[in-house]
Amino acid sequence: METLGYLGQGFGVATTPLNLLTALCGTLIGTVVGLLPGLGPINGVALLIPIAFALGLPPETSLILLAAVYLGCEYGGRISSILLNIPGEASAVMTALDGHPLARQGKGGIALSISAAGSFMGGLIATIGVTIFAPLLARWAVAFGPAEYFVMMVFAIACLAGMAGNKPMKTAVASLIGLLLACVGIDANSGVYRFTFGALGLADGIQFVVLVLGLFSISEILVLLERTYYGQSALKTSGRMLFNAKEAMLVKWTVIRSGVVGFFMGILPGAGATMASAVAYMSEKRMATRDNRFGEGDLRGLAAPETANSAAACGSMVPMLTLGVPGSGTTAVMLGALTLYNITPGPLLFQTDPQLVWGLIASLFIANVMLVVMNIPLIRVFTKILAVPYWALVPGIAIVTAIGVYGVHATTFDLFLMIVIGVVGYILRKFDFPLSAVLLGFILGGIMEQNLRRALSISNGELSILWSSPITWGGWALVVLMVVLPMYRGWRRRRAVVPASP
Amino acid sequence: MIYQRLFLTALLVVYAVLAYATTTYEAPFSYEPVGPRAFPLLLLALLAAGTVYLIIRPGHMAEENADTPLTRQVLGRLVLCVLALSLFAFFFEKLGFVVSAFLFAIAMCRLYNGRWVTSVITAAVMALAFYGLFDRLLDVPLPLGVLSGLGV
Repeated sequence: METLGYLGQGFGVATTPLNLLTALCGTLIGTVVGLLPGLGPINGVALLIPIAFALGLPPETSLILLAAVYLGCEYGGRISSILLNIPGEASAVMTALDGHPLARQGKGGIALSISAAGSFMGGLIATIGVTIFAPLLARWAVAFGPAEYFVMMVFAIACLAGMAGNKPMKTAVASLIGLLLACVGIDANSGVYRFTFGALGLADGIQFVVLVLGLFSISEILVLLERTYYGQSALKTSGRMLFNAKEAMLVKWTVIRSGVVGFFMGILPGAGATMASAVAYMSEKRMATRDNRFGEGDLRGLAAPETANSAAACGSMVPMLTLGVPGSGTTAVMLGALTLYNITPGPLLFQTDPQLVWGLIASLFIANVMLVVMNIPLIRVFTKILAVPYWALVPGIAIVTAIGVYGVHATTFDLFLMIVIGVVGYILRKFDFPLSAVLLGFILGGIMEQNLRRALSISNGELSILWSSPITWGGWALVVLMVVLPMYRGWRRRRAVVPASP
Repeated sequence: MIYQRLFLTALLVVYAVLAYATTTYEAPFSYEPVGPRAFPLLLLALLAAGTVYLIIRPGHMAEENADTPLTRQVLGRLVLCVLALSLFAFFFEKLGFVVSAFLFAIAMCRLYNGRWVTSVITAAVMALAFYGLFDRLLDVPLPLGVLSGLGV
């Protein structure tokens, strides 16, 4: 009951005119960014941080903006997947598998509307989940000491690598690079300058905005450059724009199951929307026994990943708000934005900043409604945006990126640093290292080292404090599980291959 | 595969240099058991182990990267793009935002296959619009550079 009271208070915050307007702008921007091929939620959220700062928005409003953009991107990503067969972002890859065949069969309108409804249901299920689970987890997490926190972060990194599918080692290396980047600059405890090599611009560390924009904006610009040769034209949507009751009944259970799966996948640190949509698609494909046409335009195959990725986007707010450990690359950016406001995310946030937490949760409900209202009738307007050519889009992105980076410190050193980070990020990307892992590592790095050192100060250097409480045992058990899981999968794959070859 | 191994080897060299750099990181006076050196060294050791593993078993590349091989032409464009970005950064304060963004946007439009006329128009609109939006409306101070004499 207490929760409902807080939620009511949250709606009070979320329905102030400023926050409603912000949520509306956020959902609009998010949908547009999400549907542009190549641009995903991380890019959208990263580009908006400097702007939210420049506007002087209060922390809860800018967090609402970022969350609305995040959710909007999960809606927008489906449009380019269905009509172009080019996923706007990684979590919409699965959507294209069944969405694009539907569009080619002339059912583009139905596909778009049913996936919007799926996204809405996913977001709704997950937001209810956030409302129920986040306060519980926060109450439990207050008992965390530095040692427990350290183990939790090790788990987050292990989870990231363990869930990364076919490249656990590359993900692990990428997140370690992120952790190392967080060490650059003056060490708060001892005053020693680390890895600055005499550069004044690095004295207070690599700025978060510089790293995010370098990694995601500059490297994206370089990737888009490769694709200028590949022209694609969008399929026209014609005929019926709205799904009918029969189609809704067909996907009913798929949507509910995928929403729940997506929410729990979203809670796992590091798994995020991409994994969630893949898991939901695969399990629905296995469960569909009656006229299974997955891959050729099955409505269930379209609804499952779309529901799951919206649910995961909301679910990933849970670890961010309660533990201060991001559940996905995008929430990592949001976490960074919070620290820019001098707000330390974690379990205490529920006590110290209830209007921020509950305002955010309430605005997830509101943004979700706005998105479904916007996405069904306005779909023709959004599809027009797909026609914007790269030569107009990319220079704009590049200039906004540069302004965002310059705005932090007003030095051109940061611009050069951003370019260097962007080029390195591009190379890492070409070699299949996930950049969101670098970012997650960077966000966790500072807190992780602080907690490790604090824990060891408490125990006077005894390492055994790291495994001295039941919570840490549980944490280490999960870490071991996450390390063993990819090994087991690899072993099973190899075993499956061997008998097949004569 | 060979390029990936070269890159990973280069990473190993970087780790070695960074590890050498940590040798001087001594806290002038210490009141905690773990100094500023331990955590980075731990990370570097783990990184080195992971990188060596990848050199031995690089694994398969994702399809996304496999079907767009880097041709000489694409590589040339990438270099041009990075060059344009660097020049933009270099002239950002010297020429001021409006002029440098105008020139940079022309270069970028051309790189992404825009035609000359449309490029120049787009660039001019963008440079002025972004200056107005950020400097005037959003209070992000941008350098005026050579235009500062105009007294706008």
